Amino acid sequence: MFGFLLGEALRDLRRAGHVAVSAILLITLSLAALGAFWLLSSNLSLAVAQFRERVKIVVYLKRDLAAPEANALIERVRRMPGVAMVRYVGKTEALGTLKQVLGKEASVADLLPQNPLPASLEVTPTEEGSTLSGARNLVTRLTAMPETEEIGGGMEWMDRFAHGQRLLWLFALGVGAVLAAASILTVSTATALVLHARREEMEIMRLVGAPELVVRMPLLLQGMMQGLIGAVLAVWVLIGCYALLGPRIEPLVTETLGVTRLAFLRPLNVLSLMSAGTLLGGLGGWLARGRPEP
Amino acid sequence: MIELHRVSKIYAVGPVKVPALSDVSFRIAKGEFVTLCGPSGSGKTTLLRLLYRDDVPTEGEVEVLGEELTQLTRTQVAALRRSIGIVFQDAKLLPGRTVYENVAFVLRVLGTPRREITGRVFDALRAVGLSARAQAFPAQLSQGEAQRAALARAIARKPLLLIADEPTGSLDETMAAEVLDIVKDIWAGGTTVLFATHQATLAAALQRRTLRLLAGRLVKDEG
Repeated sequence: MFGFLLGEALRDLRRAGHVAVSAILLITLSLAALGAFWLLSSNLSLAVAQFRERVKIVVYLKRDLAAPEANALIERVRRMPGVAMVRYVGKTEALGTLKQVLGKEASVADLLPQNPLPASLEVTPTEEGSTLSGARNLVTRLTAMPETEEIGGGMEWMDRFAHGQRLLWLFALGVGAVLAAASILTVSTATALVLHARREEMEIMRLVGAPELVVRMPLLLQGMMQGLIGAVLAVWVLIGCYALLGPRIEPLVTETLGVTRLAFLRPLNVLSLMSAGTLLGGLGGWLARGRPEP
Repeated sequence: MIELHRVSKIYAVGPVKVPALSDVSFRIAKGEFVTLCGPSGSGKTTLLRLLYRDDVPTEGEVEVLGEELTQLTRTQVAALRRSIGIVFQDAKLLPGRTVYENVAFVLRVLGTPRREITGRVFDALRAVGLSARAQAFPAQLSQGEAQRAALARAIARKPLLLIADEPTGSLDETMAAEVLDIVKDIWAGGTTVLFATHQATLAAALQRRTLRLLAGRLVKDEG
C-alpha cells in the first residue's frame, strides 16, 4: 500500500511541474540560509571555546609581595571556586617580560627612573570558571581581595563576543522563520495545484470508501518529498560554499578569531536540517485541503 | 437494504430556498432491481447522493445497509461506501490511466492484496466484455466502452448495492442496451440495483419496480 501511495505522490510531484520546483528552491534557500548561520555560529562558538581555554585573568596587586606573602596569596586564590592555576608575577619579572617584548628597544626600559609595572597574579580559570557567569563570580571574588588594585584580562571582550553570537542566532532564527513560512506557503500552493489536478482521483477514492488518510497521504508524501529534496540541495549548497570559500577565508579567521580550522556542520546538524526540510514540506502538503465531506 | 422516511432536501441559493426533494419515503429490499425514473431536474441525482452520503437530507431519515446515514462519522461513511458500487453518466474514468489501471486503482486504494488485484480486475473486465481493451486509455474508448469500464470498476469490489446514475443517458440505443444487459447480469449475481434514468421508455422496457420522481416528489411507486 505504501509503495502505491509513494508512486501516487511521485506522479503528483511531476504534475505540479514548475510550482513544485519553486517550492523546492524556496525550501533550499530557507535551509541554506539557516545552515549558513548555523555554520557561522558554530565556528564562533568554537572560537569562544578556544579563547576560553586560553583566557587568563590578571589581578594587578597594590604592591610587590615577599615570597611567603605571595605563596599565602596564591594558596588563598587557588582555593577559590573556578580557579585551575595561579602564578605570581613580581615587578622584576614583569619588567623582564616587557624587555623581551620590546626586543631591540629594551634599553628604553632602563631609562625609567623606577619600575612602573605592578606585581600581579595570573589566574587560569577552570572550564566552569571560564563560562560567563563563572568568570563574573571569579572576578567579583578577586576584586574583593584587599591586595587587589585592578583586574585585567579578556573577559569583557569574551562577554561582547558571546553577546554578538547570541544576536547572530536570533537574527538567523528570524530570517529562518520568515523563509520557513514562505516555504510552507509555496509547498501549500504547489499541493493545492496538485489537488486541482488530482481532484478526480480524490473524488473516486472518496466515492469507493478509501480511508481519509489514504486519500491525503499522497499529498503529505509529495510535500515531504519536496521538503527532503530541498533540504538535500541546501546541504549540497552549504558543502559547495564551504569547499569553495573555506580555504580562502580560513587565514583571515585564524588571524582574527584564533580558530585554526573552519568546522563544517556536524552530522547531527545536517540530519536536523534534513528533518526540518521534510517537516516543512509535509506541513505544506498537509495544509492544502480538498473539498470537505458534508 | 434502503429505507427513506419523509426525506426532504432544500438547497439554499443565497436567500432563495430551492426544494430538491420533498417528503420522499420508500423502501428497497435486498436483491431488488429498482428503476428511479423522472425528467431532468426531478431530484434523481440528489436522492442518489443521499444514499451514498455525498450529501445529507434537510429533513427525514436515510437508512442504507442498516446504517442511518445522517449521523455517520467520516470513517463510517468510508466503510459504508466500500459496500456500494456507483456509476455515473460521465463514467468518471481517470484519463491518464488505462482501463486496467482505472479498475485496479480502486482496489489498491482499498488495500486489496497485490496478488489478488490482477485476477479481480480481469474478472470484472470479462463480466463487462472489456478484457481485450484493458490497455486502452479512456480517450481511446467509445462512450459505451467507457461506461462498461466504469461498471467494471464498480463491481470489482463486489458491492452489495449498485447505484447507477443515468449510465445510459448519453449512449445510443445499442450501447444503452449493452450496458443495461450488464447491469442485469450484475443484479442476477445478487447485487441490489438502483438504476436512475430520465428515459421513460427504458424504464418501461426494464419491467421492474419503478419509482417515479417529479419536481422532487415521489409520484409513483409501482411494479
